[in-house]
Amino acid sequence: MDVRGGPSDQEVVARVLGGDREAFGLVIRRYETGLVRFATRMLGSRDAAADAVAESLMRAYRHLASCRDPSRLRTWLYRIVANRCKSYLARRHVGDVTLEEASPVADSTDNEASLERAEQLALAARALAQLSSEKREAFVLKHVEGLSYQEMAAVTGVRIPTLKMRVHRAREALLRALEDHA
Amino acid sequence: MNAIDPRIHQALDGEISRDSLPPELRGTVDRLETVAALLASAPAAAGLEARVMAALRRPAPPGAGARRLVRWLTTPHPVTFRIRPAWSLALAAAVALLTLVPTQEAGPVLGEHEGIAQFVGRFPDARSVHVVGSFNDWRPGTIPLEDPDHDGVWRATVVLPTGAYEYMFVVDGERWVPDHMVDRLVEDDFGRENSIVIVRTARR
Amino acid sequence: MKLGLLLALVASPLGAQSVRGRLEGRVPTLAIPVVDSLVQVAAREDLPTEPLVQKALEGGAKRVPPQQIAAAGQVMLGQLRDARELLVRAGDAAPTTAAEVTTVYSALKRGLAPRVVARIVAALPQEPRGSALHAVADLAAHRFDADSAASLILDATRQGLRGERLLDVSTAVLHEAQRGRSRNEALALVRQRLPNVPPPPKPGRASIAGARRPEAAAPPP
Repeated sequence: MDVRGGPSDQEVVARVLGGDREAFGLVIRRYETGLVRFATRMLGSRDAAADAVAESLMRAYRHLASCRDPSRLRTWLYRIVANRCKSYLARRHVGDVTLEEASPVADSTDNEASLERAEQLALAARALAQLSSEKREAFVLKHVEGLSYQEMAAVTGVRIPTLKMRVHRAREALLRALEDHA
Repeated sequence: MNAIDPRIHQALDGEISRDSLPPELRGTVDRLETVAALLASAPAAAGLEARVMAALRRPAPPGAGARRLVRWLTTPHPVTFRIRPAWSLALAAAVALLTLVPTQEAGPVLGEHEGIAQFVGRFPDARSVHVVGSFNDWRPGTIPLEDPDHDGVWRATVVLPTGAYEYMFVVDGERWVPDHMVDRLVEDDFGRENSIVIVRTARR
Repeated sequence: MKLGLLLALVASPLGAQSVRGRLEGRVPTLAIPVVDSLVQVAAREDLPTEPLVQKALEGGAKRVPPQQIAAAGQVMLGQLRDARELLVRAGDAAPTTAAEVTTVYSALKRGLAPRVVARIVAALPQEPRGSALHAVADLAAHRFDADSAASLILDATRQGLRGERLLDVSTAVLHEAQRGRSRNEALALVRQRLPNVPPPPKPGRASIAGARRPEAAAPPP
């Protein structure tokens, strides 16, 4: 059973495979926030991220039977979104996001604290946007999405030592980028 | 590239304690963690559920050819023309609607007090799977599940009188397995657990 | 009741043939007279008999030894008596119907406390309680407080929801919990929205078209 209560991923997958299409809404609600955040950080654009995740979820629905281990539905979904982001970036022929797209919109409740936070986020997003897509992916999966190296390997299909190396390089590059922007 | 002190990586990877670091290295760890926390602040809800579910509710194309076409349309391609993914979804749905021939399969006519029970189990290595329960007098072998595409997922859709039933799966004619994908389980008094299915009326 | 005593009751012929006919060839020979006698005892006490037959058929199908089938039947007879007693204590005028006894028996088997079951029974005197009890049991199975769950389901009945629709109330609560709300928040939120809880999707045309009737479809015991 899922720790948050409600049906487990296995059960939800079984319901969908059994023809209960609406149960897939649960999958979306459960993972949408993380997937959109991951895609936003990868693509630097919320609109593009929403498109990429929407496509990925439709793909996941169509190929749900090929998710061999529904208890690992989360990493399976991240894998589909990661691949979709790669395709999107490749199609743009640019590995990096543009600075304009990386700029977050300030919170609508425009007070001093939220403006400062928006500025800090903009700075962090710009620094992240300067990383190569591989390093960005490694950093975001590890530190933003909080995946273990094992889960990251399942998402990316890359060996753990290589992933560790990418995360280390990403941290170093991010610190340098932050210093440049500071 | 300027390498940073390896202890910073060790602390961030949880291999050593942050508190064991000298203050200047702790500052760097904190800085990276702050950046991660900022980036982890969730973007505004994208409201994808309504959008995706609306697309999924549209009728599916009847044939493999049409399915391939939809797949092609919904999959970004590096050639020919470029369209925004959102538009490709809409276009695919429109084409699906245009090419759809409504299916007229009759199926059983359901009575007022009848509903549909769907049984699904994942048994990758099974040769046969049956569902056995109080709906068929616990008679093994009468309701087979099928796995036509050999993906290890077995299914059966059955018309039953409305009500609650206990059941188990029988794999390869001998192995009794509860349906662990459902939450409703009850002791069977023989040392195992039955699953419970509640069949609701299909006519609403 | 000892197995020997049960075997001694075999001589009673009342209604034996129909039950024996259903058990023969499907339940170990040694267990048939025991089950048969339990069924007759249940019939004399106006208790439901079908659950006893089903339990024996289940044991036979699962190749359970005859002693265990007999023991399970014996335990079940006691539980059916408890269920009937609960119904009467909660205000149902005797004779109680077999269906209601079976409903209460099932709710107790699902782990609901007799106190909670009695509360639902007493609050819904004029109608079947099966869905209400399943809805409460569904929430209790997800570690919701059973009393709070029962309160919500009874609130839903006061708002006009009946029968299977009560299952949609528990489903709505589980969905809210799934979205990250605490259990209390999920209960409160759904209570606020009552009687507006989404119904389940209708089975699609394709599902109905692919559905089959099993050879031996039996109504629920």
